[in-house]
Amino acid sequence: MTKIKNQIFSSYLRNPSLYDEIYDKDGNVKEVYKKLFDLYGEHSIEDYANLNVKAKSSFFNQGITFQVYSNKKSQEKIFPFDLFPRIIDPEEWDSIERGAIQRSKALNLFLWDIYHEKKIIKQGLIPMELISSSGNYLHQMMGVDPPGDIYNHISGIDIIKHNDGNYYVLEDNIRCPSGVSYVICNRTALKRALFGVFNHYQTHTVTDYAENLLELLETTKPHGVDIPISVVITPGMYNSAYYEHSYLAKTMGVELVEGRDLFVENDFVYMKTIRGPQKVDIIYRRIDDLFIDPLEFRPDSSLGVPGLFAAYKKGNVTIANAPGTGVADDKAVYTYMPEIIRYYLDEEPILNNVHTYHCNRPDELKYVLDNIHQLVIKPVDEAGGYGISIGNRLTKEEIEEVKRQLKSNPRKYVAQPIMSLSVHPTYIDSNESFEQRHIDLRVFTVLGKDKEFVLKGGLTRVALKKGNLIVNSSQGGGSKDTWVLKK
Amino acid sequence: MLARVADNLFWMGRYIERSEHIARYLSVNYFSSLDAPNDLSQSRQFVLRSMLFMVGEPQLYESKDIIEEEVLFNIGLNPNAAYSILNNVKNVRENANSARDLISTGLYESINKFYHFIINYDPAVLVKNGLHDFTTNVTEMTAVLRGKIRGTLLHNEAYAIIMMGVNIERATQIIRMINAKYRDALEAQGSYGDKFSNSFEWTTLLKCAESYDMMRRLYKKPPNSISTLEFLILNPNCPRSIMNSLNQVYKHIRDLDTSKHYNKNATAFLVGKVRSEYEYKHIEEIEGDIQSFIEDILSSLVQISTKMEKEYFNY
Repeated sequence: MTKIKNQIFSSYLRNPSLYDEIYDKDGNVKEVYKKLFDLYGEHSIEDYANLNVKAKSSFFNQGITFQVYSNKKSQEKIFPFDLFPRIIDPEEWDSIERGAIQRSKALNLFLWDIYHEKKIIKQGLIPMELISSSGNYLHQMMGVDPPGDIYNHISGIDIIKHNDGNYYVLEDNIRCPSGVSYVICNRTALKRALFGVFNHYQTHTVTDYAENLLELLETTKPHGVDIPISVVITPGMYNSAYYEHSYLAKTMGVELVEGRDLFVENDFVYMKTIRGPQKVDIIYRRIDDLFIDPLEFRPDSSLGVPGLFAAYKKGNVTIANAPGTGVADDKAVYTYMPEIIRYYLDEEPILNNVHTYHCNRPDELKYVLDNIHQLVIKPVDEAGGYGISIGNRLTKEEIEEVKRQLKSNPRKYVAQPIMSLSVHPTYIDSNESFEQRHIDLRVFTVLGKDKEFVLKGGLTRVALKKGNLIVNSSQGGGSKDTWVLKK
Repeated sequence: MLARVADNLFWMGRYIERSEHIARYLSVNYFSSLDAPNDLSQSRQFVLRSMLFMVGEPQLYESKDIIEEEVLFNIGLNPNAAYSILNNVKNVRENANSARDLISTGLYESINKFYHFIINYDPAVLVKNGLHDFTTNVTEMTAVLRGKIRGTLLHNEAYAIIMMGVNIERATQIIRMINAKYRDALEAQGSYGDKFSNSFEWTTLLKCAESYDMMRRLYKKPPNSISTLEFLILNPNCPRSIMNSLNQVYKHIRDLDTSKHYNKNATAFLVGKVRSEYEYKHIEEIEGDIQSFIEDILSSLVQISTKMEKEYFNY
């Protein structure tokens, strides 16, 4: 462990076995971080702690909070935020951006294929049972043509930097990826607290997300609509991501609706306004597939709109993302991404995939069972970091329990080598000092008809618990502002 | 605008206004009783009963021995009393939450701060020595909220609906106050030197409506029953008067309903009708039979609210 001289980083302990984003191998601050390092170094730790408190209370007062459920009580919490930003240089970003678009497009073509001719399966590149056994596959979507031919309008791609210095994609979230509002809030908070640092860096803006989202959504409007009316549909204000839903509606300037605000008549969708019914053409939904229409999916859902799916099948309304996209963000499908990209785009994948063992293949299951201590075991269909077991963190009893689960339901699990997420200096309140914490990056892409957009920033999530590799907010994660530098 | 959201904004306006009037009623009555000129008005039981009457708490009101701490807690911070200021502010925030995409960040932030101030207020402090601090904060924060509504929202349909809520509620609360103080003045009659028409309670009433200074300025005489009622009911320039509230409601409904000739079933038609009734009234007509006036105007306000629900909040 090496100590560094700089007022604010004086107690920063660098573990050389981890990939630190701001130091090179020889322990020198990387060129791109030098200025930032010096600027922050001018602050005393008291100063910094003070700024930190102010930034937090600004989040709290603005009500940028999420609900955590524990002991049947819901609690309002701010999404922890770190004032030391992450910087991505233009060359690195270029490949991330191109790679993210490439994946989104490939997934879109893949979805079209599996809901139409299933060529990729017929050619034997992907096993049929991978699709048919997925809980997110919707047979109702077979043969349905989504308006503008887009399934995954919005994708959130989770990327990490391994200790080999390369980026790897961990997963593609194409159901209702959340977090984009925090990207913008983090930027606002950092600008308020430490505006001076922006004078020294040419950083891309992140405030243009909503306008691009709306523009691209509108390119996928239903046939025959001139000026489309868009809405965001939310499960309601008790949903943990409600802040984001209202943020998106507000910044796009469209209505934020709940299922009960909409109804379907003659296969067209309307919202109930103070002036009577108004037709709705594009729905950005933040409700899971199975809840969008009680007539077609879960009959007990009160969040959705009866008849919505019939209107969708007729092509009278755009739903973003399309129902059934979840089949492609399944962790088992993820492992075929290199093949999927090559097959549909005839290109080599720009971003790396993590090697994955499929527990439904007997030989790979055997390898996994024998090597649990070196692997991360993930359920293929859980979101939010739930159900993940990290092999080298488990006790003997826990390993036996994981083995039992793997054997009883191998299709449910995949395993990957334990990736070492890079670390970034993060201010830890309780210790009043900067410490190394693991980070990842969620990149947001939007696909429209013949047009695409990548938010030049993304959400850097940080695992605030020491040594923790799981960065999800529901598991005690925070986030950092992410600067993509201009060329 | 969505009908559901309009409904919520309407009630957001109402709850903001309601919190303010309850808070002021509490503090004005409590503090003016401390050195009131007659024994009854100085009696703590009398004042507490008046507070309970104002918020419509029948059970405690009937009790012989009212406990001060209990009343202050119930009206201020009791999470289980529907009329408490705490629940009013909770409702403000809840309603604002559902319209968060429509209202300004500034307005939401102020509502949120208000909410956190209230839910973190220590009940022990409130009932011991915090009444002034608590109620002053509530009345100030409601003023901030109205300022943000006026100064940061688009003056469109959403604004009109919020302002209708504010003004319908204002008229309702002023009438409730008149009702409560009218009863108090009747009860205080005959105690040392206090006649109904010159009762000390009229001064208290004006202070509860934050209209005492301006009333003195206009009449240049101590308030009596006639001048107080005239000022609070019929003076269109008094921002707290029933007349002014009705004028405001009329102004805002016309932003919502722009037709030249109103349908006889429209809310705008009803508002116009009620408003013109009071425009051409004089105080002697009212003062003779205060009780019927109170019942009439309350029922008109309920009718307006119900009509709005049918016409605009149908979802």
